[in-house]
Amino acid sequence: MSEDAILSLNSLVIGYDQPLVKPITLDVHEGEIIAILGPSGIGKTTLIRTIAGLVRPLDGDFDLRVKRSGGLGYIPQRLGLVRHATVAHNVSLGARLSVGWSRTMFKDRKERTFEAIRTLGIEEKASEPVRRLSGGQQRRVATARTLAQRPRLMLADEFLGELDQTNVDIVLSAVHELVEEGTAVIMVEHHEDNAKDFATRIWLIKDNHLHDYSLEEWLDIDESSWREQHLGEEE
Amino acid sequence: MKYRLFGIVFILFFLAWQTLDGLVEGDWGRLEGGLSNLVVFFEESMWPPNWKVLEARSYPVCEQDIEFFCSVGYLGMMETLKIAFVSTILGFVGAISLSSLAARNLMPLYISLPVRIFLSAVRSLPSLIWAILFVIVIGFGPLSGVLAMTFYTVGYLGKLQYEVFEGMPNDPLEAGRAMGLSRSSIVFNIVIPENSNHLLSQIMFMFEYNVRHGTVIGIVGAGGIGYYINTYLKFLQYDKVFALLILIFIVVVLIDLLSLAVRSFVNEEGDVRKPTWLNMLIQAQKRRSKSGDVA
Repeated sequence: MSEDAILSLNSLVIGYDQPLVKPITLDVHEGEIIAILGPSGIGKTTLIRTIAGLVRPLDGDFDLRVKRSGGLGYIPQRLGLVRHATVAHNVSLGARLSVGWSRTMFKDRKERTFEAIRTLGIEEKASEPVRRLSGGQQRRVATARTLAQRPRLMLADEFLGELDQTNVDIVLSAVHELVEEGTAVIMVEHHEDNAKDFATRIWLIKDNHLHDYSLEEWLDIDESSWREQHLGEEE
Repeated sequence: MKYRLFGIVFILFFLAWQTLDGLVEGDWGRLEGGLSNLVVFFEESMWPPNWKVLEARSYPVCEQDIEFFCSVGYLGMMETLKIAFVSTILGFVGAISLSSLAARNLMPLYISLPVRIFLSAVRSLPSLIWAILFVIVIGFGPLSGVLAMTFYTVGYLGKLQYEVFEGMPNDPLEAGRAMGLSRSSIVFNIVIPENSNHLLSQIMFMFEYNVRHGTVIGIVGAGGIGYYINTYLKFLQYDKVFALLILIFIVVVLIDLLSLAVRSFVNEEGDVRKPTWLNMLIQAQKRRSKSGDVA
């Protein structure tokens, strides 16, 4: 366990009743982008939810060295947006956490909210309720919420899924903006191609083990047989 | 499956019938004269409704230009509406604070359980009993009515609200929790906006309910149109009672229409403009005439 890690997993055992993965011991540092790959139902989402504090670890623990309020950004698989509220309201939930108490706090929150909305290119939809937006636009709203929050660790569960290339590019450039400021990102990803494009590390969960690869190590794996070898029955 | 459902409904109906038979102890003869009694009562005492209730009262002297504004119907209805409005708003504020404490998905059991028990206790007394209690404690008048309805609204609306909160999707709550939003922030910024449609519907329903029950609590002296209904009942002026009942019915229908309009701002139906029957008929007519042209 290194001291400068923002997240350290210490023999962490995840699962609801039964352990899904053998004890995990890993560190996550600033600026890393980690993609979690693996077949469905293997425990990718459970790992993210455990780190987010929504599921208790079965054994072991983890040190999250970020501020409890606002230090951790989370985009669940179904995005967690308030569907009946406007885009601006949803994004402001993130800004609320990143702007401290001050005399100008309401102005600052508003500025940060609209800055994030502009970055994600949804300024025309700012005053529309989220339920009226398409799936891709809703994903941009969830990303804008995290961008406005400026967390030190961002957790995202398959939030690039079903996005066209334009939206993927927009969302990823926003994520990179956060990473440049030192945010670490852990994303569950279904598409290996996406993972190769943006990740610096790959966590592959297979046969109840979490395998940790740097991107270089991952790229060295024989491409023609990687899916068969590593993702098993996924496709 | 269809037959099973039919069978269950039939058995339930049979059980209900048997229970009713037990309740009336087989004395169905009382029903025989009931209908004819109703017809006689309606024709002789209630019909036609006496619309004098919409004319100015003889005392105090009316100083308004339009007589209607000094009438029993208007004054009583306005008082009932005011009592219902105030108690619905006060009750809603009380209910929303308590229901967010009572919802199991928002609060731990050691907070939610006592609040639920408190809400059940408040709800177990009907508004009429609350009204009698407050009339005894603080005397006749609209304040007793307001307090009685407010208490009942808190108990009733509180339950409806925490059940709606518990049924909401979990992912916005989880996102808020993981991000580190405080409990109060989650309630105000996630739970209330996400359930705004239900909350608006409930508040409008409660307002309508309070208007209807305003008539009942008026009977025990807690103000409103019920006070006048009670007076007319005592003097056997059923035609005036009937006129006031029609007035209440019209107001309840108007509140329902208002509710529909208010909710259209937040529900998903407003997102897609549905074709009206008229539009569909016109378009069908156009299509028919076009195909006629081609032929």
